Amino acid sequence: MSGLAQLLSSHGLSYDFMIKATFYFVAGLTLLFALLVVLSRNIFHVAIYLAMTLIGVACVYLYLDAEFLAIVQVLIYVGAIVTLFIFTVMLTADINAGSVGAMIGRVSAAALVSLATFFILTHIITMTTWSAAPPAETSVGLPQLGKSLMSQYALPFEVISLLSLAALVGAIVIGKAQKR
Amino acid sequence: MIPQSHFLLLGAALFSIGLFGVFTRRNAIGILMSIELILNAANINLITFSKFSGSPDGTGQIFALFVIAIAAASAVVGLCLVISIYRNSKTILINKINLMKW
Repeated sequence: MSGLAQLLSSHGLSYDFMIKATFYFVAGLTLLFALLVVLSRNIFHVAIYLAMTLIGVACVYLYLDAEFLAIVQVLIYVGAIVTLFIFTVMLTADINAGSVGAMIGRVSAAALVSLATFFILTHIITMTTWSAAPPAETSVGLPQLGKSLMSQYALPFEVISLLSLAALVGAIVIGKAQKR
Repeated sequence: MIPQSHFLLLGAALFSIGLFGVFTRRNAIGILMSIELILNAANINLITFSKFSGSPDGTGQIFALFVIAIAAASAVVGLCLVISIYRNSKTILINKINLMKW
C-alpha cells in the first residue's frame, strides 16, 4: 500500500484523494445503474443493469472493509440470483411486447412518494452528528467472522439453513407442472 | 476518509430508487428486482454501522450475511410463483392478474 501511495504522490496525487475519487465514481455509477434498473423498458436489459448495480454495491462493501461480504455479494447475487432472474425472463415474458415500462398514471405519484422518502432520509442523515472517523483498527477479518458465526450466532445459522431447505422444497412444489 | 453520512446517503438513494421501481413496474419480475435493490440498500446501512460503531465481533456483517441468504430464498420462491402464475394465466403483468380480485 505504501508503494502505491509513493507512486501516487510522485504524480502529485495523495492516496486519500484517490480513495475518495474512486469511491464517488463507483457510488455514482451504482446509482446510475440502479436508475436504469427502474426506468429501462426491456426487462432483459433490466436484469443486466441489476447485475451491474450489485457489482457496484460489492465495490462499496470493499470501501467498508467488508471483503468477505463483497465476495459473497458477487457469488450469490450476481452468480446465482441474477442468473435465476434471467432464466425466469426467458421462460415467461415476451421480452419486448407486454413487459414494458410502467403504468402511466402511477408514475408521478410514485415519484412523489419516493422523492419525499429520499428527502426525509437525507434530512435525518444530515441533521444527525455522526462520528467523524471509525475507531482505530475496526476491520473485522474473515477468521473473526467465521468464529462468531459458529459460536455466538450458531442458532441463527442453523435456522437459516432450515429456511433455505424450506425454500428449496417450496420452490420445487410450486414450480412442478400440474397434472391435468 | 469517506464520512459515514455519505454511505448512508448512498443507501437512502438506493432505497428510494427501489421504492420507485416497486411502485411503477408492471412486470412481476421487475418488482422482484426492485425489492433486491431495497435489500441491498439495507445491507449498505448495516455494514456502514458495523464499521463505524467499531464493534469487534462484526455483528453488522453477520446480519448482512443473513439478509443476503434470506433474499436468495425469497427470490427463489418469488420467481417460482411467477413461473406458476405464467403457466396458469399466460401473463405476468400485475394489472392483468386479477384471479383473486372480487
